[in-house]
Amino acid sequence: MASSSKQLRCVVVTPEKAVLDQAADLVSLPMSDGELGVLPGRQALIGNLTTGVLRLKIGAQSVRLFVDGGFVQVRDDTITVLTPRAQLGSEIDLEGAKKSLTSSIPKDASAKVIKEHHNTILRARAMVHAAKGL
Amino acid sequence: MAKTRELVGRRKAIRNIRKITRTMELIATARFKKALDRAQEAEAYTRKIAELASDLASAGGEITHPLLAVHDKVGKSLLLVIASNRGLCGGYNAGILREANTRLRSNREQGVQTRLELSGKRSISYFRFQRVAADATYIHFEDKPRFDEVEALANHFLELFTTGAIERLEVAYMRFLSPARQTAVVETLLPLAKPTLTDSKNTAPAKANNRVVEYEYIPDAVEILGQVLPASFKQRLFKCFLDAAVSEQIARRVTMKAATENADSMIKLISRQYNRARQAQITKEISEVIGGAAALQ
Repeated sequence: MASSSKQLRCVVVTPEKAVLDQAADLVSLPMSDGELGVLPGRQALIGNLTTGVLRLKIGAQSVRLFVDGGFVQVRDDTITVLTPRAQLGSEIDLEGAKKSLTSSIPKDASAKVIKEHHNTILRARAMVHAAKGL
Repeated sequence: MAKTRELVGRRKAIRNIRKITRTMELIATARFKKALDRAQEAEAYTRKIAELASDLASAGGEITHPLLAVHDKVGKSLLLVIASNRGLCGGYNAGILREANTRLRSNREQGVQTRLELSGKRSISYFRFQRVAADATYIHFEDKPRFDEVEALANHFLELFTTGAIERLEVAYMRFLSPARQTAVVETLLPLAKPTLTDSKNTAPAKANNRVVEYEYIPDAVEILGQVLPASFKQRLFKCFLDAAVSEQIARRVTMKAATENADSMIKLISRQYNRARQAQITKEISEVIGGAAALQ
């Protein structure tokens, strides 16, 4: 079982750099099968992430991050997120993200086309959410 | 008179070259620092993903995955050569190309069909000169390789490997061991080495915490491993590019430092020759004056 420290440590790394290393009270992960909240003292976990928004709660403050899939490991109150791409919500240009979301949705929305663009749309939408804080 | 003029001209030319090599040395030093920082930032991800893979391997029992499939006899191979776009970096490119060429030749002797992919203008021009046709060339990897670019390349390799178009992927690059030591190597990236239990015991983070942690897997260990493996391959390929970038800057710095020092000693030598020539000329003129005066008496 995890140790009894009251805070979590959340580390987000991409192949290029370490994006975040911060203490948090609650971390919400975009798992491949839905959101998962992690509180201190959680059992060790390894899981798949999907493209989405990672949320951290530090006291009354909250931090949002865009993550593009990857993996998470929770162990001894340390959450390690490995993702190919990550960006802090505060660093995302909301207008640009909105624009790329609109342009990523194809006009002739046949099932096949949508399937092809699925990942791009998902990514763009997660970017907008990370920036806006939905 | 002609001799001294010539010496002054040469000294000036060498001084100008020295200025250039000195500047290049400083630029390479700055770029090396940046490249090294990037490589070190990537280290955390590499370590963590290896740890994940070994943890998963210990839970998943016997692992079978297309990326781990070892062929008894390799008939089709791919060799990726990572060299630099620019020269003036001493033996950097020569070292890599020698290794690559050796491997290419041994592959040919063993009857292994080898697809050749080249990165960097230096390797492209070298193999063109050798009259060896390359199957693909890339010149967009500079001193700051981006993960997105490498990922696209990695996906291309993964597709070739899983469809059976190649049975082995080798990368020739300059491995960065320490700021004072780099070696040109040919490394086999695919099939991936099996993540083993012993890995997790040997790595530093696991050593601090020797007990086996009971993980909860979402969705399950085998499925996660199936995604960790491609990610770990991408990271290894990315690391090759990062290593190459760091090594290139080091090689350039060392070479330019040597060039600057050579220029220094040449300037000294020419200055000495010039002073001697000038002195000889003055002596000659004085003796001519004295000779002329003596003739008048």
